[in-house]
Amino acid sequence: MSILIYTLMLFPLIGSLIIFTMPKSRSELFRPIAIFLSIIPFGLCLYLFTNSQSKGSFVNIHTIDWIKSYGISLTFGISGMSLLLLFLTAVLMLLSFLSVSEKYSESKGFIGSILVLHFAVNGVFLSGDLLSLFIFFEALLIPMYFLMGIWGGENRRYATIKFIIYTVFGSVFIFIGTVYAGVISYGVTGRLALDFATLSSLTFTTEQSRVLFLMFTFGFLIKVPIFPLHTWLPDAHVEAPTAGSILLAGVLLKVGAYGILRVSIPFFTEGFLEYKFLIAVLSVIGIIYGAIVAIAQIDIKRLIAYSSVSHMGFVMLGISAGNYLSLEGAIIQMVNHGLTTGALFMLVGFLYERRHTRRISDFGGIKTTMPKYAAIFLFCSFASIGLPGLNGFVGEFMILMGSFATYKVLSGIGAFGVVLAAIYMLWAYQRMFTGEISIQENKELVDLDSKEMISVVPLLVLMLFIGIYPSFIEGYVTQDALLISEIIDIFSGRLN
Amino acid sequence: MSTISEAIGFNLIVIGPTLALVATALVLLFCTITIETSDFVKKTITFGGILLTIFTVFLKFGLFLTDGISSYFTEKILIDEFSLFGNVLIALILLFNFSPIWNTSNQLKDKTTEAIILALMSASGFMLMVDSESFMMLFIGLEIGSISLYALAGINRGDLLSNEAALKYFLLGSLASCVLVYGVALVYISLSISGFYDTAIAIPYIGAGNVPLTTFIGFLFIIVGLLFKVAAAPFQSWAPDVYQGSPTGYVGYMASVAKVASFLVIARLCIVSLRAVMENFELFFLAVIIISIFVGSFFATVQSDMKRLIAYSGVIQSGFILSGIVSGVNGTSASLFYITAYTIQLIGIFTIFTIISGKLSSDFSIENLSGLFVENKFLTICFSIFMLGLAGIPLTSGFISKFILITNLWSYESYVLVVILMLSTVAGFYFYLRPIWVAAIDKPETPVERITLKRSQILSLSALSFATIYFGLLPNSLINISRWVIQNYL
Repeated sequence: MSILIYTLMLFPLIGSLIIFTMPKSRSELFRPIAIFLSIIPFGLCLYLFTNSQSKGSFVNIHTIDWIKSYGISLTFGISGMSLLLLFLTAVLMLLSFLSVSEKYSESKGFIGSILVLHFAVNGVFLSGDLLSLFIFFEALLIPMYFLMGIWGGENRRYATIKFIIYTVFGSVFIFIGTVYAGVISYGVTGRLALDFATLSSLTFTTEQSRVLFLMFTFGFLIKVPIFPLHTWLPDAHVEAPTAGSILLAGVLLKVGAYGILRVSIPFFTEGFLEYKFLIAVLSVIGIIYGAIVAIAQIDIKRLIAYSSVSHMGFVMLGISAGNYLSLEGAIIQMVNHGLTTGALFMLVGFLYERRHTRRISDFGGIKTTMPKYAAIFLFCSFASIGLPGLNGFVGEFMILMGSFATYKVLSGIGAFGVVLAAIYMLWAYQRMFTGEISIQENKELVDLDSKEMISVVPLLVLMLFIGIYPSFIEGYVTQDALLISEIIDIFSGRLN
Repeated sequence: MSTISEAIGFNLIVIGPTLALVATALVLLFCTITIETSDFVKKTITFGGILLTIFTVFLKFGLFLTDGISSYFTEKILIDEFSLFGNVLIALILLFNFSPIWNTSNQLKDKTTEAIILALMSASGFMLMVDSESFMMLFIGLEIGSISLYALAGINRGDLLSNEAALKYFLLGSLASCVLVYGVALVYISLSISGFYDTAIAIPYIGAGNVPLTTFIGFLFIIVGLLFKVAAAPFQSWAPDVYQGSPTGYVGYMASVAKVASFLVIARLCIVSLRAVMENFELFFLAVIIISIFVGSFFATVQSDMKRLIAYSGVIQSGFILSGIVSGVNGTSASLFYITAYTIQLIGIFTIFTIISGKLSSDFSIENLSGLFVENKFLTICFSIFMLGLAGIPLTSGFISKFILITNLWSYESYVLVVILMLSTVAGFYFYLRPIWVAAIDKPETPVERITLKRSQILSLSALSFATIYFGLLPNSLINISRWVIQNYL
């Protein structure tokens, strides 16, 4: 099992080294090799789905003694939630390699950076202690810096620096929290043991728990992002290249929510109980605010970026409600959002390559020239809105059901987010695809070719699959959600 | 003879590194002024001299294993873990700066071996400084080292900035030396002690409460004199100008060697000598650290000259290292790790600058890096590794050094300090990533100069970047060494 996990984690890194050492003259081989390199982690994830260990809550698989004199070790393990997110990462990586245009696929740096990103993301989802979690969380930034910096849009410098500074500012607090937890753990165990098993056995005082919760959660919430801390996201999404946007929305935002579920809530539960209402309020503001701002956007990529703020608001609402149903819904919604938004960004990327514009008003009536594209876009829009039968519905329904038990008014307000989602997505669809073609260039648009179809259709299949058979994905979420909700119940029972 | 030499503790091995360096310098000087010698011979002599120095450091380890901590030459020179650590570091700094110093010297208007002679002399001085038991030896070592550095800064005589750097460095440096020697005098007249280990015995003997104020002022002056050398704010004002004005190839050496030697002496003062009365200095150190962090972070963000940027980043790093040293024994071991990692990155960066500037540029704008990636990928990757290391990105030695330092600070309950230090790393991400952006991402407007790397440069850059990554992934060895240095004081 440990070999499997290390292969899953290190394979992309080795792959990136292979890409970096290849001669530039064989640039046509980069894409096939990259696709091959990401099929292996994808296959491993599929294999892990059949493994019974991966269905439960977090299990430590392997521990490495790292810094002996301080007693620091790195732990790696897996749980159902991790596996789902690993699978999501592998799928999006594979499809973004399939979908990238020649301009990018013939660049060593681009392919290599994405593979390094894959390595770091896998590291986050597999790490079983705070230190390795932090290391991979921070290591994410380097490939993203180059991806956005080199292959980004016009205003990429501003967006990249903003993204980096925001994230680093958050991760500073995660770092201090890690150190704080380590020092507390040192007082009890005599070594800087930061692995999840040790942390859950420690008892923090109310004060410590609150401070640690705030530190970790603040750092992760920037990454999610939650309402007042979200301003880096639209810029980063708009300026990043298509593959960067797909991975940013599909995977990197999940890292924040994952951290809260994995670290903040289970270990610092008292802090969570203290601040959960605040988080819930901010998430609902985020849901409504993100949706309203999305309605007003004239740039389709920015619209989808703001829809991410709204959707991640749902995830955070589910997390802050903290009961079994809402937590399960939140984890499922994380996967759903990755699939839907990933697909939408990919579609926008296809359109941008044809027309080199993302302004909604530059399109109109292109349903007649691009019927396949229009159909797929509508499908993804419905998934994003949360139409029953598609994946979005499952997650949002569970979140709203669950959170209604805890916050009646807030979840009532949050439910309007679904209505607003219908407005911004369908209105954008209407403006872009229906009616008469008014701009000459749009008459010459070519519909999706087979390469583009191959790269987007698997996402649609997954959306439909989750929509009509949610029990499959739920089976991998149950244990994690159950454990977290039980911990919350125990603590709130003790407090009341 | 033998009884006398035994009585005064005459032992050539103890000052072996110093002797080897001075001898090499003298041979080179002889070659330069008497007989026409080719560059190759001079290089061989220098390299041989540096290797001999490293060999004598090994001999000192042998002596230390048999004798333990002991003093020689009527308690002027001593061997302890700090001095050995310092000797090794200084020898390695010299070794890795060998190629940049020679390359820059070759570009000087009148070809000269002065630079390498001065470098060897200053290394001998700093070796003496970390070996010193008596404060007078400390002063002498510091002066031998510093005066050579003043001359090195101004060796490019035709350049105004170089002259300015030398003069500024000399004037402010002499002032700092005055302060230091005044401190030594104050300590001596108030307590009749003139050595590190004397102080360590004397202060507990008379009781920490009975130490006269004059002694404290004296030690404060000594520390201020040393803080000047490490460019901790508010004693940093020379650093940006000196870094900017001095010939690029020498800056890496000048910056690292003075910092290493001074920090080791400060560490010895804090851990050994003033251990019983450290709390009296805490406020002073806290102020220095916080001012260093703020001044460094603020000015580094607005620099457009790379050498000035590195100088201000050095001010921040000094704050970091100092914060460990004043936070107890474990913190000192973290600082020793930190200073080793930092020195590696600093030398690496200046080696790259020497290669890029290609001429005796005293002005090194950030734009000079533009197009580096197009021209030479190896250099860009090395440069990125060093800069990311300075920023403290995980998987580089910079992260480990920050992590163990912050952990020690937190367990020492300096919460405010931790928050300030960590917030400065956010600013750090801004100004350390900007040069990477210019080097790796920006497309150059003008065609870039052709850069050809010598084998020695590739070798030393690979070694330095390998060390940065290696200590980031497997830091055990260096951590154990840094803990070995302070093991007696735990």
